[in-house]
Amino acid sequence: MMRVNLVLLLAVLASALYLVNVQYESRRLFTEIDRAGLEARRLESEREQLELEKRQQATVQRVEKLAKERLDMRAATPAITDYVSYQPYSGTVPAGAAVQPQVSGGRLQ
Amino acid sequence: MSSRSIQYTSSPLLASRTPVWRSKFVVALVAAGFAVLAGRAAYIQVLSNAFFQKQGEVRFARTLEMPATRGRILDRNGQILATSVLAPSIWAIPEDVDREPKQLQRLARLLDMPLSELKRKLEDEDKTFVWLKRQVDEPVAKQIAALDIKGIYQRKEYKRQYPEGEVTAHLIGFTNVEDHGQEGVELAFNQTLAGKPGSRRVIKDRLGNVVEVVGEQVPPVEGRDVQLSIDSKIQFYAYQRLKQAVRENQAKAGSVVVLDAQTGEMLALANYPSYVPGRRQSFKDAPLRNRALTDSFEPGSTVKPFVAALALEKGIATPSTALQISPNGRLNLGGATISDTHQYAVLTVSEVIQKSSNIGITKLAMQMPAQDLWEMYSQVGFGQRPQLPFPGAVSGRLRPWKTWRPIEHATMSYGYGLSASLVQLAHAYTVFTHDGELIPVTLQKAQGPVTGVRLIQARHAREVRHMLQLATGPGGTAPKAQTMGYSVGGKTGTARKQEGRGYSEKKYRGVFVGMAPIEQPRIIVAVMIDDPEGGKFYGGDVAAPVFSETVQQTLHLLGVQPDIEVKPQIIARVEAQEAPL
Repeated sequence: MMRVNLVLLLAVLASALYLVNVQYESRRLFTEIDRAGLEARRLESEREQLELEKRQQATVQRVEKLAKERLDMRAATPAITDYVSYQPYSGTVPAGAAVQPQVSGGRLQ
Repeated sequence: MSSRSIQYTSSPLLASRTPVWRSKFVVALVAAGFAVLAGRAAYIQVLSNAFFQKQGEVRFARTLEMPATRGRILDRNGQILATSVLAPSIWAIPEDVDREPKQLQRLARLLDMPLSELKRKLEDEDKTFVWLKRQVDEPVAKQIAALDIKGIYQRKEYKRQYPEGEVTAHLIGFTNVEDHGQEGVELAFNQTLAGKPGSRRVIKDRLGNVVEVVGEQVPPVEGRDVQLSIDSKIQFYAYQRLKQAVRENQAKAGSVVVLDAQTGEMLALANYPSYVPGRRQSFKDAPLRNRALTDSFEPGSTVKPFVAALALEKGIATPSTALQISPNGRLNLGGATISDTHQYAVLTVSEVIQKSSNIGITKLAMQMPAQDLWEMYSQVGFGQRPQLPFPGAVSGRLRPWKTWRPIEHATMSYGYGLSASLVQLAHAYTVFTHDGELIPVTLQKAQGPVTGVRLIQARHAREVRHMLQLATGPGGTAPKAQTMGYSVGGKTGTARKQEGRGYSEKKYRGVFVGMAPIEQPRIIVAVMIDDPEGGKFYGGDVAAPVFSETVQQTLHLLGVQPDIEVKPQIIARVEAQEAPL
């Protein structure tokens, strides 16, 4: 009887110590997850900040100023624009056209 | 001297017998003491543990706020117009602050304030909390944290940033330091944009790490993004042209509105003078209100096309119907005189619009009952609050037709006696661009096709468009509205400003509302220049050039191919090089 009790006592002790250990481990992991969460949030706000900076560097105002002053460019007008109209392929090949479709400039010939 | 020895062991005092009750009494006393202690311990630990548990919890449990960020405002292409970035606020507990002069000097420099002011803020040692500076930039905050001064703390806060600055100021508005919308879209869509912070109760260890969550968590609700119909490029060009025109004409102010003629989406809305939303000091120099929506004015001749459209619709006239105009440029009507700037004997309906004849349009309007005219105006939205969720948008004024006197019946036909905002005017013109259907104006990106309300027949809308094209042609009132490559049409308006009880002799408002390209309109552009003092004041002179340049830029950005012949100035054309494969 006495021996059984002793074994049980040891088991209880071991279990208690293990519980302490598990509790400690769970708290440590939780702290870690919490820190990671904070870090994610920080990165998120940093991304927002960077995106804003990117946008500020690319406003029309700035782009136009740089294009005009540094690159010496000017705005396009219809007079200096060559308009190219695009006709989708209709599916009917005109008579006489060979197997290969003809592209202007004859690049595919 | 004989030694006298004392035998302590045989002291007579010892001989007296101690009564038994005394030792028992001591034992009982000690036992009672223990009993009281045990009782107290039981009381604290078992019966009344709530107080101590609470005290314990106060020392390690914390309620943490989980901040929610405000949604972004985006343009139609997803470009950021407003966003929130981290901007910590710096605060201090004056009593605790370590006053090392060198450190304080550095702190003052980082906070961008004189040392004396910083010292003044820290003077009152009775205070336990004092803001040193709200919302400093993140990098600065990091440097302040690096100084590691005792008693200086930071609080996480978010600050609104507007990359487009003054260009979109009136449209987007701004928020206050608590992140609530105060003006413009920020206020109009505050419900959507604002997030709701969550909270959670946690247990922290001695080092400040969160080790456990207790109780229920309330997750934060992030603010939602709002996507507007505005195109930031078109907005910028419209603002720039307007700014230029207001300065050149030494005008008091100006507004420009660009609408998509087919969907009713607002592509640009700008006012000048403007302000910088991020800099509060700039607020006092410029009006914060969005003039294009909140200021109503007498539209003047810009309403004439509606009278012409009504006449076509009622079958009273066709575009080529000739009208007798007074040869001396004057018309007497019930004691009042209506005059034109030029004298004409006969004009067709088209020419009345082209030359903007007050007498001509009056003669047309007098053939129709006042009620019809009122119905037309009211159907196109005059006197009605626009269906835009914008703070302070006005409805303008259109008095019921029963109260019109005959002279008012006449003046109404050329735009005096009623008032509307620039956005209302632009909106009304959708009836011409959308082939007779009035379509609603929207600030948010349109989803799917729009349905309008048919007010006039498509045929008549087209006819009016051609009249408007004539107005911008040779012999019209606004040849300056023409633009390279695109056919345009529109109507000028030059209205005297009201001053006191009457009209000012010298103060004008030049307006131009037009559309392009004329056969299949893509955009409506409305421009208003308030009180130009540079010598020119006609709508055709001050507002039409802004229209012309804005149309040019906008159609180019929208990728609309020119519909009228342009003499090409291309010198060398690079042909596709033949490359051997």
